[in-house]
Amino acid sequence: MGCDALRDLTLGKQAAAEEEAGEEVTAAPSRLADAEPSSGAAFGDPPPEDPYPSTYEPYPSGVTALVGATIYDGAGSAIEDGAVVMRDGLIAAAGARGDVAIPGDAAVIEVDGKFITPGIIDIHSHLGNYPSPGTASTSDGNEATSPNTAGVWTEHSVWPQDPGFTRAIAGGVTTLQVLPGSANLFGGRSVILKNVPSRSVQGMKFPGAPYGLKMACGENPKRVYGDKGGPATRMGSFEGYREGWIEAAAYRDKWAAYEEKLEQWEAEGDKSKDKPTPPTRDLKLETLAAALAGDIIVNMHCYRADEMLQVIDMAQEFGYRVTTFHHAVEAYKIADVLAENGICAAIWADWWGFKLEAYDAVRENAALVHAQPGGCAIIHSDDPRGIQRLNQETAKAMADGLAMGLDIPPETAIQWITLHPARAMGIAEKTGTLEAGKMADVVVWSGDPFSVYSRAERVYVDGALMFDRNDPAFRARTDFELGQQVEDEAGGSGR
Amino acid sequence: MIRRFLIGAGAAAAFVGASDAQTLLVDNGRLHLMTGPDYADVLAEGDVLIRDGKIAEVAAQIAPPDGAEVIDAEGMIVTPGFIAAWSQLGLVEIGLDKEANDASVSGPFALSAALDARDAFNPASTLIPVNRAAGITRALSAPTPGEKMFGGQAIFVSLTGEPTSITHAGAAQYVTLGYGGASRAGDTRMGAWASLRAHLEEARAYALDPSGYVGRTIDLSRFSIRDLEALGPVIDGEQLLIASVHGASDIRTLIRFKQEEGVNVAILGGDEAWAVADDLAEAEIPVILDPMSNLPGNFRRLGATLQNAARLDAAGVTIAFQPPSTHNLRLLPQSAGNAVANGLPYEAALAGLTIGAAKALGLDADFGSIETGKVADLVLWPGDPLELSARPAAVIIDGAPRSLENRATRLRDRYRDLDRTDLPLAYPAPQQ
Repeated sequence: MGCDALRDLTLGKQAAAEEEAGEEVTAAPSRLADAEPSSGAAFGDPPPEDPYPSTYEPYPSGVTALVGATIYDGAGSAIEDGAVVMRDGLIAAAGARGDVAIPGDAAVIEVDGKFITPGIIDIHSHLGNYPSPGTASTSDGNEATSPNTAGVWTEHSVWPQDPGFTRAIAGGVTTLQVLPGSANLFGGRSVILKNVPSRSVQGMKFPGAPYGLKMACGENPKRVYGDKGGPATRMGSFEGYREGWIEAAAYRDKWAAYEEKLEQWEAEGDKSKDKPTPPTRDLKLETLAAALAGDIIVNMHCYRADEMLQVIDMAQEFGYRVTTFHHAVEAYKIADVLAENGICAAIWADWWGFKLEAYDAVRENAALVHAQPGGCAIIHSDDPRGIQRLNQETAKAMADGLAMGLDIPPETAIQWITLHPARAMGIAEKTGTLEAGKMADVVVWSGDPFSVYSRAERVYVDGALMFDRNDPAFRARTDFELGQQVEDEAGGSGR
Repeated sequence: MIRRFLIGAGAAAAFVGASDAQTLLVDNGRLHLMTGPDYADVLAEGDVLIRDGKIAEVAAQIAPPDGAEVIDAEGMIVTPGFIAAWSQLGLVEIGLDKEANDASVSGPFALSAALDARDAFNPASTLIPVNRAAGITRALSAPTPGEKMFGGQAIFVSLTGEPTSITHAGAAQYVTLGYGGASRAGDTRMGAWASLRAHLEEARAYALDPSGYVGRTIDLSRFSIRDLEALGPVIDGEQLLIASVHGASDIRTLIRFKQEEGVNVAILGGDEAWAVADDLAEAEIPVILDPMSNLPGNFRRLGATLQNAARLDAAGVTIAFQPPSTHNLRLLPQSAGNAVANGLPYEAALAGLTIGAAKALGLDADFGSIETGKVADLVLWPGDPLELSARPAAVIIDGAPRSLENRATRLRDRYRDLDRTDLPLAYPAPQQ
């Protein structure tokens, strides 16, 4: 069953359990010493640029050369007997062995017969905000209290000790976008993380990555709010979106007017005149205005083709861009329109039927999206198990495309879980391929990554080895799992 | 005269309704018989003769009898049909649509163990052809619990999609234990076990003297007569009791319960079963497990590991695989492949999809291997059936090749070309 569906079903029960439990609210942990202080914006000032900044720093790495593998470089090429050189956390070179200079100071690792891909990227995860164990205490993914909660930032829910992160890295996942759930029309801000254990979520935040906005179509908002004041219908949902955008546009204009006045006041230099007063900040509208401006990427949960087409019109009405339709079970029905509008479809290989809007799934969905000129297919997980096997999900979707006669070589299919999500998340300048100068996020697979028998053997994040299947020293274990009786035989990365 | 058919979706479709075909020869395939030590018997180039829906002969070379239809399996791997040892097939069409989901009762409802999947099973469900096209030929279909701990009586069905697909009624009873049981019994596992024992005790009392039991003056509100009646075959050890349970401590209690009550049990889930593997083997309790479950989803699943299947198999426990969902029984081979990637021998993984699943359900006399006398459910695979690219070339159930078409393939074909045509896509495509 689809995660979103399941969560929404249990939502009411969990909320009730939480209320009944009457647990004491524990004090918020104090800021960690390694976090940078914020810019210190006071109430009423313009919104600070980055009040919860990334404190992620790559772990130390030397110069490493991985030699002899078949490389799917994420940029669209397959290279037999290739070499990848990583230096200072970046890709120094990747190509055929004969074309790549191996530096004298490199630690050379022979990986003959193995495969290398860029680090896998999941554009849709709930690791950290729906962590394991999944209890009422940890259910932090859906602020299902109002259909518009654009003001929540899901990083404030992410538990960095979720054991799911350690399992995901054993599946080659180096970058992921954690999204709020789909109960609401406007669910809030996403956060993009590097999959590296940290004491804080700031310590995982992908440096410089833009924020995403989560929105949801269809059944979920109706189901959650149908008897809680609405929306109770799809038309009610569209009213809710449009009212949100209208308010956001007004908010944007109010701030623009203020900034213009302030500029004028400063230019005049007459301090005897009152300094213009800024409008009151509104977290909800701040996020929505930034989405209108294109500074925050819009991620829209939408299953049905006809609804996606309505959303495309709405985006035109208000002048914003939908970057990706998530779940997009019916993307194949409108693959041409998606491609014309430059919108990606982030989908499962074969989940279906857990609700009516997921009834028309076909296994060839990704392949049919891809087959359109300019089509952008992405395979996503939305699931703490699926995120461990995005290579397998892609393999199935590729196989069904091949079976219907479409030409999808593996070096192309790998882009569905590397370059394409990187682009859709606004981080393709930094990761998603093995091109020189990008972050050295690299996976060495034991064999063809599209075989069920292959597993990620070594995973590098910014050039640093973060998982090694053959070396227990490189298998992360979260606080939660430490000291449990089964520790020697279960738990942690790759187990 | 002998008719020879090419394999392929179109050819298989031509067989629809051909279940009357009396004699069929699967010719020259690589047969995974699922017999012998470690189920490793393979006939590299073998034939299977099928008569009246049963396997009549398995040999290296069988001359086609007169009038037989011949399926050329050269270069193909032939396995027994895959069996889903757990599902809600025919009970659920749309998970979240109440009208299209009969898998469990919701809200307060008087009956539980008495519910019978046979009464609700819909052989026309679209899930059946979708999963059949992936080589699933049989499934247990079990009701799942509502507010009470028993789900009800399961059926064993074929995936022919025909009204005759229920072959075994009362194939199992289902009870949720672990926290699933506890949450229905005072939020403690003690409550779950006490409630289960009380039900069996009352069922025994009822079985001994049904009319006397009904006439007793005790408070009957806790037990429904119909439920106690339905538990009769369970207390007799004739009907399998499938218990969902994960934690090693819960499983130890289950082993003790089996000894004390003399019932026949199988485990569904069993994330920590590996920690009790030797005891389970000795107690002859099979485990229907999800080999990809490796997250500490709750405090009795902290020991979930990808090694579970391999460790249980090594200890001699009969294993089968729990599908990720009823809609996706078709992903069972992927689960098996992942078990192999994590140490389970290949043949043991195939067994988990075939003979192991049949054994877990006590149905191995008729299903799960390619042997004379067994029901003729066979799948022809162009490549490794556990690989992610594996899609069957032909699926034979009850001795007849079955259609590989389904609602999803029809939707795919409708939308593969999006160019505007003379009529909307909703009209039949013009004949090519």
